[in-house]
Amino acid sequence: MLGYLTARQAGLDDPLRLRRAESTRRVQSLKLNPDRDVDRIHGNGINTIDIEAIEGRYMLSGGADGVVVIYDLENYSGKQQYTCKAVCSIGRSNRHVHKFSVETVQWYPYDTGMFVSSSFDKTMKVWDTETLKPAEVFEFEGNVYNHHLSPIARKHSLIAVGTKNPKIQLCDLKSGSRIHILQGHRAEVLSVRWSPRYEHILASASADSKVKVWDVRRASGSLFTLDQHNGDKSKASSEAVNTAHNGRVNGLCFSGDGLHLLTTGTDDRMRLWNSATGENTLVNYGKVCNESRKRLQFTVSRGCSPEFVFVPCGSSVAVYALHTGELVTMLRGHYNNVDCCEFHPDYQELYSGGKDCNILAWVPVLRAPDVEEEPDSTKKSAAGQPSVNPAFEDAWSSDED
Amino acid sequence: MELSQRDRLSELVEELTTSGRPQLNEDKMKEIKKICKVSNDCIDHVYHTIMSQLNQEHAEIRLSAFQIASELFSRSHHFRTLLVDNFQEFLELTVETDLEQPLPPPKEAAKKLKTLAIQTIQSWQATYGTAYKKVALGYHFLKQVKKVDFQDAEARTVAERRREEERQRKMARIYKERVEAASKDMEESQQEIEAILMEMESCMKLLIPGFELPGIQTSSSSRSPPNPQQASGSPSLDEQPCCSRDLKDDWKEGEMKEKQKERRIQEDTDMVGEKKGKEEKKSEGSEDEEESGEENEEPLDEDCFIRDSGLISHSYSLDLNISQGLHVKETEDNEAVISTVIDLHRLIQTKHLPAVQGWVQVFTKAGADEQLLRKALDLKSSLEAALQKHKELHIDYKTRVRRVMKASADGEDEEDDDDDFDEVPEKEGYEPHIPEHLRAEYGLDPLPSTSTAPVTKKPPAKRPAAPPPPPSSSLPSSSSRRLKRLIEEEQDPTCAAATLRLLRQNLPPPPAEPSSSSGPSSSQSSSDQKAVDTPVVPFGLDLYYWGEEQPNAGKIIKAASQHQFWVHAEVNEEVQNEELLAESRSRYISFPGKFTPVSHHCNAPLGNGKLCPRQDRHKCPFHGPIIPRDQEGKPCREEDRLREQQEERRKREEQPDWRDAELMRDIEAATGEDLGSDRVGKKRGGKKKKYPNLSDLKQNANTARSRLEKKVFNKSAMRRVADVMAKADSRKHEKFSNQFNYSLN
Repeated sequence: MLGYLTARQAGLDDPLRLRRAESTRRVQSLKLNPDRDVDRIHGNGINTIDIEAIEGRYMLSGGADGVVVIYDLENYSGKQQYTCKAVCSIGRSNRHVHKFSVETVQWYPYDTGMFVSSSFDKTMKVWDTETLKPAEVFEFEGNVYNHHLSPIARKHSLIAVGTKNPKIQLCDLKSGSRIHILQGHRAEVLSVRWSPRYEHILASASADSKVKVWDVRRASGSLFTLDQHNGDKSKASSEAVNTAHNGRVNGLCFSGDGLHLLTTGTDDRMRLWNSATGENTLVNYGKVCNESRKRLQFTVSRGCSPEFVFVPCGSSVAVYALHTGELVTMLRGHYNNVDCCEFHPDYQELYSGGKDCNILAWVPVLRAPDVEEEPDSTKKSAAGQPSVNPAFEDAWSSDED
Repeated sequence: MELSQRDRLSELVEELTTSGRPQLNEDKMKEIKKICKVSNDCIDHVYHTIMSQLNQEHAEIRLSAFQIASELFSRSHHFRTLLVDNFQEFLELTVETDLEQPLPPPKEAAKKLKTLAIQTIQSWQATYGTAYKKVALGYHFLKQVKKVDFQDAEARTVAERRREEERQRKMARIYKERVEAASKDMEESQQEIEAILMEMESCMKLLIPGFELPGIQTSSSSRSPPNPQQASGSPSLDEQPCCSRDLKDDWKEGEMKEKQKERRIQEDTDMVGEKKGKEEKKSEGSEDEEESGEENEEPLDEDCFIRDSGLISHSYSLDLNISQGLHVKETEDNEAVISTVIDLHRLIQTKHLPAVQGWVQVFTKAGADEQLLRKALDLKSSLEAALQKHKELHIDYKTRVRRVMKASADGEDEEDDDDDFDEVPEKEGYEPHIPEHLRAEYGLDPLPSTSTAPVTKKPPAKRPAAPPPPPSSSLPSSSSRRLKRLIEEEQDPTCAAATLRLLRQNLPPPPAEPSSSSGPSSSQSSSDQKAVDTPVVPFGLDLYYWGEEQPNAGKIIKAASQHQFWVHAEVNEEVQNEELLAESRSRYISFPGKFTPVSHHCNAPLGNGKLCPRQDRHKCPFHGPIIPRDQEGKPCREEDRLREQQEERRKREEQPDWRDAELMRDIEAATGEDLGSDRVGKKRGGKKKKYPNLSDLKQNANTARSRLEKKVFNKSAMRRVADVMAKADSRKHEKFSNQFNYSLN
């Protein structure tokens, strides 16, 4: 650490280097922190969460009860202990609340004044954050599994929507209408995702085990379909040709730089693809438990030198190294299946929501005070800690001798 | 950590968890703690062993493991961190958070484990919730998602609680309905009950004036004071003496000699008077009324006289039967009153008292308001008091029963009942029982119980042949009216009385014993006697043509032409059929023989020293063909004996008795040689259980169902059945393979 600092001071290192090293360390030390809580508002499982990209301060969450809540993540109290307060919520008493489970929520990438939510009540609503009223409602024929707004788009403001219908819908925020469909899947589209690198590139994952990559300017068909065997016919049976998984593909995530694409399927596998060529990189992540029949929201870290993937795996969140497939750690804390997780890139924090109605904040453990330099203070703190928290003390009674 | 410690820990944990006891052995637990205190490595090891024991599919093991864990949890921080890290699994294994992983059997232990775990987790949350976030999270998860109510000692889930609430609500509703119905019922029948009570009261008053025992003084009697106007029927006062005379009669007959009678009564009176004021007054009153002619003295004077004259001295030996108390005997005078009393009594006992008891039950169960309950209780107590009172009267029922049957005999003598009986069968011949509402139709007076006026005497049963002698107190007007009506009815041919008269005229007098069998039945009985001698054969053609020559028996017309009717007469020819001819003359009689019960026994010697008691005709299923045996069960014939001996020898060779494991062990112990008893014994004895203290899970599976399953789903049985089915199928296929509807199965 000191080495990094001096190198940074001397200008020997790239400015990014220290930052990367520190964020990597922090990510690796993610833990459930007793100091950080998130208000329990949802009375039912939490399907989706989203942290806005502008300030990194507000978090949206959508629950299976149709409720959408906005949390304030910033701790201005100055104390260590902090409970993320619910700023406002669209509860069951709200007139415009979603009737059924909210499947996806997303902030408008450029402004916190607007967010979009979609639900199993076959609607997608564009909300005004100030008034908490829908500015626009899109209705569909089937359950909406997922929608996505491009985080970088400058030339268009399209929302890609994956519904029960195999056709992907493109809705334009400018006109408030559904302007386009993309045909090619044979079953419901469970997840759609815009590339964070090219604003016209869209990836979609479907229950027909296929993952397609589209250029929305080219309406005739997809650019390519991901193939788990990389076109090797000998390995694939005739049905399994051009499939990304041997089951439903329910998770889709681009890496931070948009060069790679991650998919998860109900065959308990996670695969990493080259998003430019559609080639399977054949990274082995081992078994990633996945029984969800809906979309699985998982995420990758940003700004670390080896990047990490955070993927819900049963009742815990598994952390893998993105390119090696090595399991870094399992974050255990939920008592039921985890459905979504979101990475906070500024503080290297992870938020996860599950069916046990909890949103857990995984916060990096602070670096312990250096033992070598200040032994006195260490002793003091070591002595002080138990006095604060007697629960950490051993309590062997004397009669056991 | 030393290896020995590690081994010792594993051993201790295993011993503790497989003890099967609900509480841990404290010494062993102490030892574990002592070892664990040494280092964190030990705790690691203990943690892993405990978790592996918690994963066992046996609730008792889990319970003990959980108890160890909770002991260590409160002691060691390291253990806490370890356990909290894996808190999800821990909860799944102990609190049953995962529905797909229910707690293993036995059920009691599982229930206990769950309750204990929930209580413990609550206390952990209180102590360590702030320090260990996952404990708090787990607690909230249980509380909010699993809806465990930590206050509820039963640790029921929300579904169970809801079910319970539902049930209670339902019960409350049912109770409410019942209470409403009962209160309505009570409303309705209260009047009736009160009327009945009143009636009873007045009847009793009539029977014994001033009959009011202090012990049975009740609310009913106090509430409904005797009211001569209200007493239904309002019997005339002049009857009272008659009733009380009964009382006296009873005393007379019951115990005393005639000559002592008077004094006795006096003594009685005296004693009672000394004992109980009320009683005294009553008996005096009755005596006063009944024997006004004989005794004119005032009761008090009488007392004085007795005392003064010194009649009661120590030399007297008095045997008094005071417990006799009251005794009411039925006479024709009080017949109506008594029958009313009896009816009322029956009504109370069969209808009102059960009803009132039911209301009381309903009200107490449903917790209805005080007033209703009190009302019902009042009713009940008054009814019971009435019953009690009735009991104390000691009414003679039997006399009454006869009286009902009897015509109108003189009340006093009971010996002439028998000849009164003679008349009864006449009526029985055609109508053994006459319903109440039809009595008038049959020329009978309605029963006094239903009659509105108890004054009318019990009507004598029909007795037209001998007109009833005018009873001493019966009203002549009513009897003459009845007689007249009877005569009228006899004139009317549609009336039952006319039939009766006809019958009486035509038929010989019935036999002495009252039996319903009349002329035809007796003749039948005589023919029955004959039937014993002569065989009965079913009627047949041979009997029909008995002793006749039939001209065209066995002849059939044979139509030579196939045409239906367009045929010459000559073409039809007659053919003699021998069989038919024979049939019309002969008769088949089969002689099946007679069943003779088997009188002999198998008599083969049994293991317990007895002889086989089976009575098979030819062959005993256990001992083969039945052969003559002597008293010890040995065969009498030589060859049988040989055969039996041979068989026995063969059996012994199969399983020599010296190979009995116990015997062999004894011999081995005595001789010190190895005869291989272990081998033999082991072959027979089952596998020894690993943990004898734990309750056996497999034992539970030994139900009727499982035993049947074992038989039915036995592999060989299944194969056999499948073979048979396949064979049947293939046979069908061979036969009907060319038919499409068989091709499908």
